Amino acid sequence: MRQLKIALVLLLIGGVLTTAAFVMAFTTAEMQRFGTVTVPEPIDTAFPLQQVTEAGYTYERPWFSQKIFYFHVPVAEASFLVFAVAAFFSIRFLMKRRKEFDTKARLAMETAIVFVMLTMITGILWTRAAWGVWWEWEPRLTTYFIMTLMMIGYFVLRNSIEDEERRATYGAVFGIIAFINAPISFFITRLIPSSHPVVFQSGFATSNLIPFILGQIGMLMVGYAIYAIRASEERLEERVDVLKDALEG
Amino acid sequence: MNLDPMNMELYRLVLHDAPYVIGAYAILWLALMAYVGLVFRRLMRLEKEVSVLEESFERRGGR
Repeated sequence: MRQLKIALVLLLIGGVLTTAAFVMAFTTAEMQRFGTVTVPEPIDTAFPLQQVTEAGYTYERPWFSQKIFYFHVPVAEASFLVFAVAAFFSIRFLMKRRKEFDTKARLAMETAIVFVMLTMITGILWTRAAWGVWWEWEPRLTTYFIMTLMMIGYFVLRNSIEDEERRATYGAVFGIIAFINAPISFFITRLIPSSHPVVFQSGFATSNLIPFILGQIGMLMVGYAIYAIRASEERLEERVDVLKDALEG
Repeated sequence: MNLDPMNMELYRLVLHDAPYVIGAYAILWLALMAYVGLVFRRLMRLEKEVSVLEESFERRGGR
């Protein structure tokens, strides 16, 4: 019950922080620029005029779709971290063979997959807005997609095994192997050429950093809250089973 | 709160991106709220089930 209360408080604070990040992203955060826009007539704009040619007046283009970043990146990083928690409990299960670690790994994986799906959806919408396509087989997107498939595979594998002990062992091994994808996907944009933007590579204005950090902390709180609420649900289910057994026995 | 002048320009110049940005935020929040709401519903149902079962268990134990 205490964990559930903490989860609810964190969910509330997380909601407030991410909402604050959302408001700041659209009001106080400095507008990022990407590419140029050419118009036939000069316009009254705060964006710097780059050049005047026969084609028209070229201005730096505001990068509105970058606003997705303030939620897309926190959700993506939360997905990596919760996935790391799942891998940690999988290792703990293989070391100690205790059911609680398998349950914790499964719940963390379930929470991670929620965040992975949200990362994919927000990412796809950003890709469409920024690159003009819904999908591109570039390194970050491809490795993240493989990671997503492996996480889905984790649940497919678990559901295909009836024996509890074997299911937990195979799930733990598969979860650890699947996690290898996380650091690969995270670092790949820094290691090989990729069209996916790299956060912090070119510095950050304070007005952009604050909503980003608030969004990040808020999303991690929401992530932990979801995990803890699911853990409370799991404990109640176990209690129901114990009580049913006791009544039937 | 002072609005950044670039932000003021943004709303005039790049409405093209707006549906995707709005879509991303809306889907994110709606999905998270729906998921949390679903888990809470299950949690409430389980709490009721536990209290009913505990009552039956106590009654049986008392006999």
